[in-house]
Amino acid sequence: MGIKQSCSFTPCVLADLSLLFCILLAPVCLATSPAALLQVKSGLTDPEGVLSGWSLEADVCSWHGITCLPGEAGIVTGLNLSGYGLSGMIPPAISGLISIESIDLSSNSLTGPIPPELGVLENLRTLLLFSNSLTGTIPPELGLLKNLKVLRIGDNRLHGEIPPHLGNCSELETLGLAYCQLNGTIPAELGSLKQLQKLALDNNTLTGGIPEQLAGCVSLRFLSLADNMLQGNIPSFIGSFSDLQSLNLANNQFSGEIPAEIGSLSSLTYLNLLGNSLTGAIPAELNRLGQLQVLDLSMNNISGKVSISAAQLKNLKYLVLSGNLLDGAIPEDLCADDSSSLLENLFLAGNNLEGGIEALLSCGALQSIDVSNNSFTGVIPPGIDRLPGLVNLALHNNSFTGALQPQIGNLSNLEILSLFHNGLTGGIPQEIGRLQKLKLLFLYENQMSGTIPDELTNCTSLEEVDFFGNHFHGPIPERIGNLKNLAVLQLRQNDLSGPIPASLGECRSLQALALADNRLTGALPETFRQLAELSVVTLYNNSLEGPLPESLFQLKNLTVINFSHNRFAGSLVPLLGSTSLTVLALTDNSFSGVIPAVVARSRNMVRLQLGGNRLTGAIPAELGNLTRLSMLDLSLNNLSGDIPAELSNCVELTHLKLDGNNLTGTVPACLGSLRSLGELDLSWNALTGGIPPELGNCSGLLKLSLSDNHLTGSIPPEIGRLTSLNVLNLNKNSLTGAIPPALQQCNKLYELRLSENSLEGPIPPELGQLSELQVILDLSRNRLSGEIPASLGSLVKLERLNLSSNRLDGQIPSSLLQLTSLHGLNLSDNLLSGAVPAGLSSFPAAAFVGNELCGAPLLPCGPRSPARRLSGTEVVVIVAGIALVSAVVCVALLYTMLRVWSNWRAVSVSNSDGEESAHGGHGGGGGKWGDGKYWKVGSPVSWSAEQKHSSGSETASVLLHDKSTEAARAGKR
Amino acid sequence: MAARVLAALLATALALALAAGPAPARASNDEGDALYALRQRLSDPNGVLQSWDPTLVNPCTWFHVTCDQASRVVRLDLGNSNVSGSIGPELGRLVNLKYLELYRNNLDGEIPKELGNLKNLISLDLYANKLTGGIPKSLSKLDSLRFMRLNNNKLTGSIPREFAKLSNLKVIDLSNNDLCGTIPVDGPFSTFPLRSFENNSRLNGPELQGLVPYDFGC
Repeated sequence: MGIKQSCSFTPCVLADLSLLFCILLAPVCLATSPAALLQVKSGLTDPEGVLSGWSLEADVCSWHGITCLPGEAGIVTGLNLSGYGLSGMIPPAISGLISIESIDLSSNSLTGPIPPELGVLENLRTLLLFSNSLTGTIPPELGLLKNLKVLRIGDNRLHGEIPPHLGNCSELETLGLAYCQLNGTIPAELGSLKQLQKLALDNNTLTGGIPEQLAGCVSLRFLSLADNMLQGNIPSFIGSFSDLQSLNLANNQFSGEIPAEIGSLSSLTYLNLLGNSLTGAIPAELNRLGQLQVLDLSMNNISGKVSISAAQLKNLKYLVLSGNLLDGAIPEDLCADDSSSLLENLFLAGNNLEGGIEALLSCGALQSIDVSNNSFTGVIPPGIDRLPGLVNLALHNNSFTGALQPQIGNLSNLEILSLFHNGLTGGIPQEIGRLQKLKLLFLYENQMSGTIPDELTNCTSLEEVDFFGNHFHGPIPERIGNLKNLAVLQLRQNDLSGPIPASLGECRSLQALALADNRLTGALPETFRQLAELSVVTLYNNSLEGPLPESLFQLKNLTVINFSHNRFAGSLVPLLGSTSLTVLALTDNSFSGVIPAVVARSRNMVRLQLGGNRLTGAIPAELGNLTRLSMLDLSLNNLSGDIPAELSNCVELTHLKLDGNNLTGTVPACLGSLRSLGELDLSWNALTGGIPPELGNCSGLLKLSLSDNHLTGSIPPEIGRLTSLNVLNLNKNSLTGAIPPALQQCNKLYELRLSENSLEGPIPPELGQLSELQVILDLSRNRLSGEIPASLGSLVKLERLNLSSNRLDGQIPSSLLQLTSLHGLNLSDNLLSGAVPAGLSSFPAAAFVGNELCGAPLLPCGPRSPARRLSGTEVVVIVAGIALVSAVVCVALLYTMLRVWSNWRAVSVSNSDGEESAHGGHGGGGGKWGDGKYWKVGSPVSWSAEQKHSSGSETASVLLHDKSTEAARAGKR
Repeated sequence: MAARVLAALLATALALALAAGPAPARASNDEGDALYALRQRLSDPNGVLQSWDPTLVNPCTWFHVTCDQASRVVRLDLGNSNVSGSIGPELGRLVNLKYLELYRNNLDGEIPKELGNLKNLISLDLYANKLTGGIPKSLSKLDSLRFMRLNNNKLTGSIPREFAKLSNLKVIDLSNNDLCGTIPVDGPFSTFPLRSFENNSRLNGPELQGLVPYDFGC
């Protein structure tokens, strides 16, 4: 309407604006109240028809929602249309109601802006527009309403800043602007509102601090600035609001200490500073707030002791100090022991409090206790039944010990009993059965034992039971089905035995059932079909058996099934009624039959683990529809047929394990499109054809195992692009051609197995680049020829090297002596010749047989062998020489070390380096200090005799390990 | 308005009480929890720890983690993975671990003494990181240890004499650190080559038992 424009060329003061309005809006000003009201009506949609009686045929004062000045016909003073579901915009015509004193359009669905024209209604005392969907900014013209006492326009979608002009509404007693999207700072001008009693600015996005001018609002009774982004200190002038009853500064970013002056607010009943960054101690002055009913200082950084005394705060009902840095014990005098305490709710969770909780027994009115996540110790006091009103008792995540006492059964109002993650021992008292209102019973992660008492099944209100990680034994109570409201039953990791009671099927509300990691036996009861709400069921690691009841197919809400490591048998079909499965884990059971294609109806499946069963038939191509599948494990079954190419649609696959089946056909080249794949195991099948070069595209692959198949062709050099690869196992195929030198790029390999193929040509020296090779380098049983590359000596982490049964010739390179980590070596059955390097003589003869080698541990080399034995005279000369040199070096060393410590190393290291190169660079054996080294070289036998034992047993155990693994695998098959 | 605020408070308070509802991580999957604690310590720009999902029953399908047949963690392979951060005491809970391969990363902080609890450890490869502090003498409890490679770090202090008890130790590499004192000569140390200790500017050669304190110059 251009008010600001008018002002820009008309010298005007705010007081003149109303006049200006009338000039600009002459038709409205002249209109009668009924005409204005009918314009208002025409702008509104009125679903309940409350405005249907608004017509000129009736007296305006009789219209619904209209109040008139008593005695003076036709002068409308009140408009109240609150809560009629009205929608549409507030028509500017409303400003025609020039006599109006009260407008209430709250709790409707009004949209659009607040008309600035309202500013002309100078008689207006009350304007209530809250709880609508009004948009735009707050019109500054509202500041013209000199008589306004109540302005409540919150709970709308208003944005922008709070107009400072509101500070001109000097009569204002209530200002409600909460639950909007207001930003900017709190205008200092609001401090002029001397009559203001209620100021609600909460739930906006206000920034900045509390302006000091606000100290002028001397009449404040109610101040809420909660849920904004206000910061800075809480100003101490708040202590001067002597009438203040409620102060809510929660969920801002206030910092610094709580001002002690708050203790002067003698009328205060409600104090909430939750969720700020307040520091320092709780001011003792707060104990002077004799009227206080609610005190919430939670979620700050307040430290020191719990210095609040409910004995002084005689009206305190809520004490909430959770989530701070408080330490020490609960004060003995928290409540005066005269049963006068009104304290109902005590929340001290998440501090560093310690000691016992006996002091709480004096607070006889307590209904809720939460002292979780502290460091409390001692027993749960048997006298806890002195708190008969207790509804919630949360003591979890502390260090309470001892047994739960029978007196707990006297807390007949108890609904939540949360004791998890403590050190409780002993059994569950049978008196627990008296807790008829108990909904949540959390005892998990304690050391409790004994059987689960049958009386528990009397707690018919129970909704969640969690006993995970205790030592309960014996059966699951037969009458568990009494718990008709049970939604969660978690008994995982106990020593429970016996069958799953058939009555469990009566727990029709059950959503999550976890009985895993127990010793349960028997079959799954037929009654399970009644658990229509069941979503998560985990029974893994038990001894459950038999075929599943076919009726389980009726369970349509299942999302997670984990039955792994049981003895279930028969068909999978009963588990496939749901199309919402995300996890189906049945590893290591005896399920048989085919993998039903309907499993692919659960399009959100993430993990499908069917390994270690007796499944037959083909892998259903429909699995390719499971585009969210991450883990597909069908290993160790009797599956046959081809690997369906459709699996390449499962683009999120990280693990693909099809090993240990009878799969035939080729490795699908399109598996190369599975870019998330980390593990691909197709070993122990009957796959034919070549290794597709496309696998080189699976750049995240860590483990690639294609062993024990009938794969032919050469190893594609593209495998070298798998630079993350840790394990490559191509053992036991019919691969031909040379080992591609490109494998050197797989420099994270720690295990490389290419044995039992028909690989030929030389061992590429580039393999020496695989410096992280550790577990084994196995190239045995191929047709490899040429010399053993000296570069293999670089594999300093290698623990086992098997090059046996090839056609390798030449001498054993002395560089192998650098393999200091080696404890398994097999070079047998090659065409190697010459002497076994002395440093390798500790390995058993079997490591070298089947060659033309000589020297320890084999027979001594002949006279023409390069490694001839020394004659007796030579030995004597050398020993004498050594003795002499030793003496000299020892003296020199002593002298050097005692005098020039810091210079020692340069000298002696270079010495030893020189020796090492002279003697072939031996590193792992007896090479020691100066003279010791000579001695060792002269007497290899004494060193190796000592080492032989350990190396030999090492090799044997390694061999044994392999055998047992293979045996286990074969047995599984 | 006051009633509304009070109601909000009640809701907050009850939410606190019911925080029991979503149970925290299960302590029984201790190896998984320990590994997950490590994940939270580490900065992992290459995302090598992405598959470490703490909600799984065990960590055996996590990449870079290897379990044995009994689902016990026996290998941790994070070598050359560009991770940084500190190692932390939690790894001491992987009591079945045989291979701890954390080499060639940007790990800093100290070697936690809790690694001494890894009674089955065969290989401790922490080389080529930025580890500081001393070599914990608790590592002398690693009776199965065959390979200890701590080279190329910034380790200080002396070589614990207790390491002479490590009868299975076959390879030790402490080179390129800032160790001081002398080198033990007993037990397996009688066979280790000098280069295992080189480039420690304050390390003063083999111990001269009875003549000089082993930590002379530290």
